[in-house]
Amino acid sequence: MSEPIVKYNNVTKYFDDLMVLDGIDFEIQPGEKVALVGPSGSGKTTFARLLMTLEEITDGTIEVAGDYLWHEKDENGDLKPASTDHLRKVRSNIGMVFQHFHLFPHMTVLENIIEAPVTVKGVDKKEAIKDGKEMLDKVGLLDKADNYPAQLSGGQKQRVAIARALVMKPKVLIFDEPTSALDPELIGEVLDVIKDIAEEGETSMLLITHEMDFAREVADRIAFFDAGKIVEDGPPSEILYHPKSPRLKEFLERFMSTQASPE
Amino acid sequence: MSFWELIASMLGQGLVITLLTTVLAAVLALVLGFVAGLMRLSKNKFIRFLVAIYVEVFRGTSLLVQLFWIYFVLPMFGITMTAMTAAVLAIGLNFGAYTSEVVRSGIQSVDKGQIEATIALNFTRVQRMRRIIIPQAFIIMLPNLGNQLIELFKSTSLVALITLTDLTYQANVLNATTLQTTQIFTALLVIYFVIAWPMTKGMKLLERKMTEGRM
Repeated sequence: MSEPIVKYNNVTKYFDDLMVLDGIDFEIQPGEKVALVGPSGSGKTTFARLLMTLEEITDGTIEVAGDYLWHEKDENGDLKPASTDHLRKVRSNIGMVFQHFHLFPHMTVLENIIEAPVTVKGVDKKEAIKDGKEMLDKVGLLDKADNYPAQLSGGQKQRVAIARALVMKPKVLIFDEPTSALDPELIGEVLDVIKDIAEEGETSMLLITHEMDFAREVADRIAFFDAGKIVEDGPPSEILYHPKSPRLKEFLERFMSTQASPE
Repeated sequence: MSFWELIASMLGQGLVITLLTTVLAAVLALVLGFVAGLMRLSKNKFIRFLVAIYVEVFRGTSLLVQLFWIYFVLPMFGITMTAMTAAVLAIGLNFGAYTSEVVRSGIQSVDKGQIEATIALNFTRVQRMRRIIIPQAFIIMLPNLGNQLIELFKSTSLVALITLTDLTYQANVLNATTLQTTQIFTALLVIYFVIAWPMTKGMKLLERKMTEGRM
């Protein structure tokens, strides 16, 4: 087996006195798509936000592409907290799509997409525009290049946000409930775009989602979170149809009953 | 030169000084306000403390007293300056203190999600401020900055009291020499209003232009 692209080693996270993650070990292989499911408050979002460095780690280590994310080695080879430069270097492997998009409202769609390549990576502007337009075409929004985010529907905004994350060519892309803020009729177009990217295969994905059908279709693996721990972890066929733990059974039952169609 | 030509010419000269003071002090206040506002958000406690002292001192005392202090007291410590420099300095420092609060709260009211997006896209702190936060904060600040500009313009009338020959000073001189009190002070009132009113309108227009289709 190849080296994992992401490796959590005994990761613990507290918010003040509240333990949110309880000593988690976890690996993601290059190109692997992992869905994170579980009740709200189970720690799955915090788990992903630690990888994006949006929350600080309390204890344990995370490795990304063979480098420590939150730490670096000092001259004796001991781990010390990472410097800003080190953190940024390792973080450049990770990208994220948010529930509420977080597009830059003062920039057009195309400007949103080329901003990070030009400002952060120093890509030539003409080059960035070319790549950006290609990416917009891929998510089906080339005709909206000169619009401002406020002029788009929620589904369109999320597709722009996905394009914006993709042009940075992350090795791992996190999706934090990408369709939870959308009207039901707009969910499909976003899921289709995510499926397309998943099929291309290169990017590892971490999908936090409540869409079980989608998780089954896209994910190679599903990890079930409960009370700060990964209770079960396996292929979708196992997790969704042959759950072992009572907590997962209960979770799926509740889910099926609320999701079941009336026919 | 007729009587009315004399009045017009003297008020005209005063107006030039008033406008010059306004522009220079406004530029100083804006620069100071941004620098102090950003320093107020620093991680460094000592920097925040220094700025807090500046802001509280200049907000907590009156502009007129500050003008007197800079123009009449500083020379006793060997620091002498022209009335114009003292006026620009005092007004700039005073409004800079208020502007720093506008800048601070403007920056803090930018949606926190914007910061998360820039972390996810690996911006440095400086890149984030310059490209994402300040442009959005500026639009939020604009109505307040506009109000301050108009306040600043009107407050320049105080500089007459440190011998700067601005609009108000000239009106005072004319009043003392001609005793046409009603006409002269009415003219003064009208002139201030005719300048301030388009300023208000102009800021509204700028605000609308900058938010068009975006927010």
